[in-house]
Amino acid sequence: MSLVRKPSAAASWYLPGILAGMWFTFVKMIGNILNPKKMPTLNYPEEKYEYGPRFKGNHVLTVKKDGSIRCTACMLCATACPAQCIKITAAEHDDPTVEKFPISYEIDVLRCVYCGFCEEACPVDAIRMGPEWQTAGLNGSKFAYDIQQLAYRPQLKGGVVSVLDDQERHQAGI
Amino acid sequence: MPKIKVNGQEIEVPEKSTVIQAFKQAGVDICHYCWHPGLSIAGVCRLCMVQVEGMPKLQIACNTEVKEGMSVNNTSDVVKETVKWGLDFHLINHPLDCPICDQAGECGLQDQYMQFGSYDPEMAEPKVKKSKAVDLGPTVMLDKERCILCSRCVRFTDEVSKTNELGIFNRGDRSEIGTVQGKPLDNNYSLNTVDICPVGALTSKDFRFRQRVWYLKEADSICPGCSTGCSVKVHYNEEGVWRVKPRVNPEVNGHWMCDVGRNTYKYVNLKSRLLSGKVGKRDLWQEVSVEDAVRSAGLKLRETSPDAIAVVYTGQYTNEEYASAFKFFKEELKVKNVFHWLNNPEKVNEFDGLLFRGDRNPNTKGLENAFASFGAKGSWDNLQAGINGRKFKTVIVFGPEDQSVFPDLDEKIKMFSQAENLIWLTACANKSLDSVGGETWQIPVKTYIEKAGSFTNFQGKVQDFKAGTTIVPQALSVSEAVELMAGREINWNLRPRGVGGPKTNYAVSDRGEL
Ligand code: SF4
Ligand code: SF4
Ligand code: SF4
Ligand code: SF4
Ligand code: FES
Repeated sequence: MSLVRKPSAAASWYLPGILAGMWFTFVKMIGNILNPKKMPTLNYPEEKYEYGPRFKGNHVLTVKKDGSIRCTACMLCATACPAQCIKITAAEHDDPTVEKFPISYEIDVLRCVYCGFCEEACPVDAIRMGPEWQTAGLNGSKFAYDIQQLAYRPQLKGGVVSVLDDQERHQAGI
Repeated sequence: MPKIKVNGQEIEVPEKSTVIQAFKQAGVDICHYCWHPGLSIAGVCRLCMVQVEGMPKLQIACNTEVKEGMSVNNTSDVVKETVKWGLDFHLINHPLDCPICDQAGECGLQDQYMQFGSYDPEMAEPKVKKSKAVDLGPTVMLDKERCILCSRCVRFTDEVSKTNELGIFNRGDRSEIGTVQGKPLDNNYSLNTVDICPVGALTSKDFRFRQRVWYLKEADSICPGCSTGCSVKVHYNEEGVWRVKPRVNPEVNGHWMCDVGRNTYKYVNLKSRLLSGKVGKRDLWQEVSVEDAVRSAGLKLRETSPDAIAVVYTGQYTNEEYASAFKFFKEELKVKNVFHWLNNPEKVNEFDGLLFRGDRNPNTKGLENAFASFGAKGSWDNLQAGINGRKFKTVIVFGPEDQSVFPDLDEKIKMFSQAENLIWLTACANKSLDSVGGETWQIPVKTYIEKAGSFTNFQGKVQDFKAGTTIVPQALSVSEAVELMAGREINWNLRPRGVGGPKTNYAVSDRGEL
C-alpha cells in the first residue's frame, strides 16, 4: 500500500520544526560528550547487552547427565509450534530403556516467531529458550539449526543439563 | 426381540445379545477394554460396569445378557465411582509415557481416563518395572509396562489366527504378555493384535515412531492386495501414505485384514512412483509431460491397423476403468486381440482359510466380467506367437500397480518389448522397463488410493471406494488416459494437488546465499 499525501498549506512551514529537532540533537550530543557514562546507547558490537536467563532467545536442547540428548522425539513441540519450523525424525535407540530419540532435530530459526510454545509443550525439559539472541549468518541455510548447534554449540560449553533425569525418576518409582 | 432401556432410552435389541451390544446399538458411550466385537468375552477388565435395575450389585455389560424389560444405566454415581477406581487400578503400574507412546491420540486408556477418570492418583508405591522394547516377531514390538492385560491379543491368536503364539505369564502385578517358549509372533495376521490392543503395548515395527497419529488423516478404501478385497482405512498426510488398517465389514473381512495387505501403501508413495511420461527406448529416454506421452501413444495406436494391436490387461484396475478401456479398444479402434495377464495362474484358487487368497489382484473377477460382457477372449499363446511372428506391431499393457506380486514381470517385459511399439501404463517406475530396446511409451497411472471406482471381489461382490489422497498429481486414471488417446479432452483443472513428499524445512533450501 502506498500513501499519497497532498501538500497542505501547513506543510510548507517545515523549517521551524527541523530547527527545533536539530537543536534537541545538539543539546543531547553536548550532554553525552560532557558525561559519557549516562549515555543510554551501546557501542555495538564491541559492547553487548546481556539479557537475563529467562529471555526467550535462541533454543537450547538440553542433555542428560551423560551428555546424550534429552529429547524423546515426542514431537509435542513440533505439534505446538505455530510457525511449523521444527522438524524431528524419531528413531529407535539401541538402549531399550531409552526407546525413542531424535535422530535429527532441526529448527528453522528464520521462520521461528520466538513464542516459546515449544518450551512450554515439552514434557521433559528438553528444549529451552536461552539468553542468546545474536543470530548472524552468511548463508540462508545457516539458520536451520540441527542437534549439533542446538545442544552442543560452543557457547553452551558442553551442553545444558536437563532438570529431569530418567534414572532418578525410575529409582523413585515413577 | 427384547425391549430394554439404556440410560432411559428404550431400544429393541436382538435375542441373546449382551448389554454392551445394546449400549453400542443405542450409541451410548461405555468404558471397556477387554470386550471386542470380533472376539470371545473375557470379562477381565471390569470397566464396563452398569447398574441393572433390581440387581443389588453392578454387573459387567459385556457378559450380561439382555432380558425383556431390563433397565440399565451407566450414568449413576455408583457406576461412575466404580469405573473411576477400576481405571485407578489399571493405572497403578502403567508408565503413562504418553508423549513417547505411539498409541497416544488413539488410546483407549487416554480417552477413558479423560471421560471417566480424572482423579489424583492415590498410589504411593513405586511402579513395577518391566521391559519396554520386547521384540515379539518380525512385525510387532511389545511394551510390557503399558499392557493392561486385557487379553485381546491372546484371544486373537487363539480364536482368529489360531496360531496360539501369545500368552499371559507370571502372576499378580508381575503378569505379562509373552510368546510361548520364545516362539516368535509370526503369522500373516499378526498386526491385527496391534489394532485391537487398546493401549500402546503392541506396536507395529513398520509404523513405530514414524508419525504421530494426530498428523494423519484417514480415507476409506478397498485393499488391493488380493481378491478378497478387505475394507480398509488408509492413513495419510501431506508427506504421503503411512499405514493401512482394517475397517469393519461383516460381509467380507469382519474386523481383520492380513499383514500382506498392510504393505500395499508402500508402492503408492512418491519414492517408487513414475512421475512423468517417458518416451523412447534404452539410453534414449525423453521425459515428457504426461499429456504429451499419452497423446503421442494415442496417435501411434490410431495409426496402427487394428489387427496389429494387442491389448494386455492385468486385474489391478477398477471396473469403471476396464469399461472405458474396453469400449475404446473394441468400439472405436475395433481391436480384437485382447489378453488377460494373470500373474500366478497356479495359485489363483489358494486360500488360507481366513482372508488371504492366492489371486493377488483385487479385480480379476471384474476383468473377467468385462471380457465376458464385451465378448473378448484371447489366449496367451496367441499373444506370444503374434509378437514373435511380428503380427502385433503395437502392444499396449495395462501394467500392474503392485509390481511385487508379478514374479514374471521382467520376463514379460522382455517379451512385450519385442514388438515394434510398446505402450505401458504403470503406477510405479520399473528398471527393466527402462532398459527395453523397442520404441516405448511409459505413462504414469493412479494407484488405488488416488482414484474412485469399484473392485469386484472373488465372491462377485462389487465394492465401491472413493479417492483418498493424491500422491502424484500428474498420474492419470485409465479412463482419462483412454480419453486422451482417443484424441479427446479431459478437464485438467479438476486435478487435485499432490503431496509434498517427506517434510523438509523447505524455506531453507529456497533461500540460498544471502
Ligand atoms: S519458539 Fe515458537 S515458533 Fe519458535 S520453534 Fe518454538 S514453538 Fe516454534
Ligand atoms: S524437545 Fe521436548 S517436546 Fe520437542 S520432541 Fe523433544 S521431548 Fe518432545
Ligand atoms: S497406552 Fe495410552 S495411556 Fe498408556 S502411555 Fe500409551 S498413550 Fe499413554
Ligand atoms: S498387549 Fe495389548 S491387547 Fe494384549 S493384553 Fe496387553 S493391553 Fe491387551
Ligand atoms: S469389557 Fe467388560 S469386563 Fe472388560
